[in-house]
Parts: sequence; C-alpha cells; structure tokens
Amino acid sequence: MQCLLCQRLIQSKFSLPWLLSWRPFTRPVVCAVCWQRFKRIERRTACPGCGRDQTVPRLCPDCQRWPAERPFHNVALFTYNDAMRAYFQQYKFHGDYRLRRVFEGTMQTALHQLNGDLVLIIPVTPSTLLSRGFNQVSGWLSDGLNQPRGLQTLAREKGVPQSKKVRQDRLRTPQPFMLALAAEQIQGKRVVVIDDIYTTGRTIRHAADLLLESGAKSVTGLTLAR
Amino acid sequence: MKKSELYGRQLCLTPREAATLPADVQKITGIQVSGTRIQCMRCGEFLNPREAQLPNNQYYCYACLNLGRNSTLTSLYHIPEPNDFPQRPTCSWQGQLTVQQRTCAQRVRENFEHRHRHLLWAVTGAGKTEMLFPGLTWALQRGLRCALASPRVDVCLELAPRLQAAFVDAEIALLHGRNPAPYRYCQLTICTTHQLLRFRHAFDVLIIDEVDAFPFAANPRLYYAVNQAVKPHGALLYLTATPSQELLRQVRRGDLEISYLPLRFHQHLLPMIKVTLQPHWWQVIKRGQLPNRLRRQLARYQQTQQRFLLFVPQVAQLAAVQAAIQRALPALRGLTVHATDPDRLAKVQQMRDQRVQFLITTTILERGVTFPGIDVIVLGADDPLFSTAALVQIAGRVGRSRERPTGLVWFLAASHARTIKRAQRQIRLVNRKGRRLRDAMPVVSTIDSK
Ligand SMILES: [Zn+2]
Ligand SMILES: [Zn+2]
Ligand SMILES: [Zn+2]
Repeated sequence: MQCLLCQRLIQSKFSLPWLLSWRPFTRPVVCAVCWQRFKRIERRTACPGCGRDQTVPRLCPDCQRWPAERPFHNVALFTYNDAMRAYFQQYKFHGDYRLRRVFEGTMQTALHQLNGDLVLIIPVTPSTLLSRGFNQVSGWLSDGLNQPRGLQTLAREKGVPQSKKVRQDRLRTPQPFMLALAAEQIQGKRVVVIDDIYTTGRTIRHAADLLLESGAKSVTGLTLAR
Repeated sequence: MKKSELYGRQLCLTPREAATLPADVQKITGIQVSGTRIQCMRCGEFLNPREAQLPNNQYYCYACLNLGRNSTLTSLYHIPEPNDFPQRPTCSWQGQLTVQQRTCAQRVRENFEHRHRHLLWAVTGAGKTEMLFPGLTWALQRGLRCALASPRVDVCLELAPRLQAAFVDAEIALLHGRNPAPYRYCQLTICTTHQLLRFRHAFDVLIIDEVDAFPFAANPRLYYAVNQAVKPHGALLYLTATPSQELLRQVRRGDLEISYLPLRFHQHLLPMIKVTLQPHWWQVIKRGQLPNRLRRQLARYQQTQQRFLLFVPQVAQLAAVQAAIQRALPALRGLTVHATDPDRLAKVQQMRDQRVQFLITTTILERGVTFPGIDVIVLGADDPLFSTAALVQIAGRVGRSRERPTGLVWFLAASHARTIKRAQRQIRLVNRKGRRLRDAMPVVSTIDSK
C-alpha cells in the first residue's frame, strides 16, 4: 500500500497488542511521516468557542468578539498548518477525491462522539459541485456515496468564494444559507454542523444562526481544521 | 484562448471553459468507460474503479492529476497540427564534430528524413546534443515541428540555452511543471516527458533525451505519451547512455533501429568499475569510523588534492558519512548535497569553483552534472536504490576531460548485485565497440578531431 500523500510504501506492522485485541485490521492510508506533520488539537485546552489550539481553555480574542450567549461552539480536530494547507490544495483544488480517506476515520469518530440528534453539512455551490464533482465534507463521511443518509443540504447563494476574501469582507457576508427542513425536524434538537475549515467562523455561524432561529436546542460546529 | 494554443495539443477543459472555443475544435473523450475497464485517454493509465470514482458514477484520473484533473466531467480539446511556421530558422553553431560524431549526426538526419524510430546509444560524455544539430537544422528548415523531451527537468533547463544559442532565430518553448510562463505555439519545444501528455500528434520530429532516466524507465505511461505526442508518421529518436531492457527489447523486435557512439569526444574508453566487497561499511560509519580501505583512499586524496564525488544510497546517511570523514581526516574539505537540499545549486557551484575538494551525495548528481577530472566512490553500490542505469551514469562522471580522460570508479558493496554486474557488462560492451571503432580509424583523426 502506498501513502496517499507522499507515494512511499507503507509497511504495516502487526503489533502484539493489536493481535491480542482481535480488532479488525484497518490499513493505514498515509505513512507515519506524513501523519506526524498534521497537528492534532488537544480538546481539553482548546478555545471553547472556536476550537483553536491553545494552552489554556480560555475564550480566544477572535471569539470574544462574537455574541457569547448563543448555544454554539465549534470543535476543530487539527491546526491549519502547512501540511493541512497542502492537503486541502490537493484534495479540494486539484480534486484528488482519494484523499478523503486520509481523514475519514478521524472525522467519523469525532462525529460519533459528539452524538448529535441531527447532522448537517455545509454545502458547496452548485457550480463548484459540478466542476469538482464532490463535496469535500461529504467525502469524509460517506465513502463515495453522493450524500450521507439523513443529511440535508442547504442551498447557498452564488458569490465570491470564501477563500478569496479577506477577514473583514468575510465577517460582513450576508446569510448565505436557507433551510430545506421542516421546523419539527429542528425544534429542540442538538444539531451538529460540519465544515472543512474554521477560519473566521462566519460561514458556520451563519448556519448556526439559522438553525437556532428555527428552534434548535444547540448547535455544535465540527471542522477538520482551525 | 488563442487558436494556436490548441494546435497539436489535447487540453482538458470543462464544458463551460470550452464554450468560447472556435467551432472547428475537436472534442475527445477524456476517460473511456466500458464496463469495468476505465482508461484515461490522456495518459493511457487503466484506472482502478475504486480509486478513480467520484460521486454519481463519475470518474477521474489520479495518474496525471498534476496536469489538471482529467475526468468524465471534462473533455480533451484538440486542433490538428497545421505546421503554421512562417520562419525558417538556421543553425548558427560554429563548432566541429569528430569523425564519429559526424557519422552519427548523418545517421540521425537520415532517420529524421525517413521518419524512422531510432535508438542512439551514445556513451556518457560523447557530445550527444551537438550531433542533433544537423538533423534539427534540416527539419526546422522544412517547417517541421520538433520537440526535445527529457524525463528530467534539469536536463531540459540545461538544453534550452544551448539550443537557443545554436538556433538564434528559432522560437523555442520551454515547458515543465515548475515553469509558470504561459504556453506558446513554437516550432521547437523543449519539455519534460510528462508535459508530452498535453500534446496529440504534434511533432514531426520527437527526440527523447536521457530516455533511461528515472522515472521514464519505470513508467509505461510515458511511452504512451511519446506515441501520442509524435505524429503517426513522425520520426522518433531515443538518446541514451544506458538503454533499459525494454528499449533493447524493442530493438530486438525490430520496432526500433539502433546505432552506437561508443567513444567519448576525446576518443578514450570508459573507465571500468572496480568493486570491493565491504559488507559492513554502514555499521562502521555509524560508529563514527571509516572502513580501512576507504580511509586509506581518502588519505591519498588528502595528499594529492584529487577531487572526487562520494555517493551513498540514502539522504539520511549523508551526515554520518560526512562526520566520519571529518573525524578521520579533518583537513579534507567537502559538503553534502541531495535532491531537495535548498542550497543544492550553491553547493554544486562551490564544487565547480574548486572551493571544496569533494561532495557527498545521493543519486541526484549522476547525470548532467560534470566536474572535470574527478574520481567517484560509491558506498553501498549494491543498494536497490541504485539502478543499473544510475550506476553507469555515476561511473560516467569520471574521465570527462581531455586532460584527465581516465580516473577511479570504485564501488564498495555488500554483494556483487545484479545491478552492478549489468553496469559492468554495459561498460564492457561499449568499450569493446569503442576499441573496434578506434582500431578501424586512421590514426591522425583520433588525435586531432574535436
Ligand atoms: Zn507519506
Ligand atoms: Zn476561539
Ligand atoms: Zn491520466
């Protein structure tokens, strides 16, 4: 098996604890060297608002500027570093759909632990979907199926992609989503919203606003990177 | 997009990007799906359906992804090559060819004229590029579209200025992955073999230099690229110093003609490889010491100031080798360098300028780089990381100058690996041919020609 990121051969070692555990063997898709370049965020000390990597669990300066009373917080799994930037370059922009498998397991485990009543993913615009052929978040969740079951996409207006905007512009972006769900599907539910990267938080907080206005009990964001 | 940018090309575009193209553009299926067989029509790769799948029964090619994604959501767009070249470039090169170079150059030109497929096996340091000039001049004068491709970027970068100097009034396009300049339609193209995947029946004359170089040999995809890029009745010339088994097979099958240039420009034979078995060289060096025989040889170099290259299989071994040498012979001044070393060019320049006596390196310096009058030592020459082609190329670094046409090529190895034996056999073979050629020649021309 070749590493999906550097193409080097991965040596799978059958360790004794694993042999004794009787767990099924899941083949690693990236080598140890590449995997170490990603920086996992320690959740106990991360910012309780946005999930940013910190040494103490205190609201970070960015989060202090958001209204605090909303029942929303974000969980981020990795720091957006050079390795992560290179990953998204290859996965999203070059369209190498195989790379979904790099974070498939991590993402699904995290989602499982959050244990929400309703899971929604941030959609991509129809024209992006047409040229890219996939939604990068769905890729991590559904192993090649178009949309994960139980998920509903939100329609999003066209415009300048988020990645082309500076922070000030992003924060001023108007609500880009609408809900394609009946009110009773949302009311009183603990909703998990998944996106790829938390940068300013504007996108995912728009989705959260909409859900909270529609009666959701709480909204938790889950992003691969922060 | 200018129409000429599609001449002899196959560009991968989405329907929306293709909307503005002229009407006579041909649209070619990018990915051929028939049952479970899925083939990329740009690079020829047969794709694993599980790996190549996108949602909604769409597929993409993961093999040539870095040229822009070819998928069932895109198509390839092409305009047949019209040979729209108003100029007729001339050759301004003033140099002289040796007698054998002239014979070879004549042969090359004839093969271009008859649109043959031809392998030229020329020893390292034979002066291959100059032998192409008469044939290229002939082709450019007739308005033929020509390309010179190599698997290695550094070879392309080195060739471009030499060809531009030889054909001053020719328009030359230089294409490789790291060149940000936009594509231009030119009569002469210099590119990496990978870039050939963007061409379709474009070239009347296609030359592949250093055809044996990694990754070409291991890559049947690039033979596909070559056949796609050359016109169906175009001329194809492979240049190599170390032909792969695959190329020799094509020669035996009669698909390729072959000619040899077994002598270097200074008429001397290639230095033979000397092998010493040293099974534990790495353990010794890891302990911070040098194997005795190596230490004695390096001590001699310290006295004679003889310059040399020291090859090791892996980048991770460079530092330890350097440390062991420093400890045993502190007066020897050298540097380590490897392929992704950010200071690579500066260090190679220091060696060129004779500011250091030696370089310790991995396989990156095996081709293209010439330091006159050096010796070469290879540690762990039996390591699978050194292919036969790499070993022949490494040996070929020695004896490149008229002033010192011989030198030491010394392999320290744990075993007489097949790669080493094959390298020795290849050198023996061309030397046998070279000796025969030299014996057949009038004595005057062997000394005076250059
Ligand atoms: Zn890797
Ligand atoms: Zn925060
Ligand atoms: Zn392909």
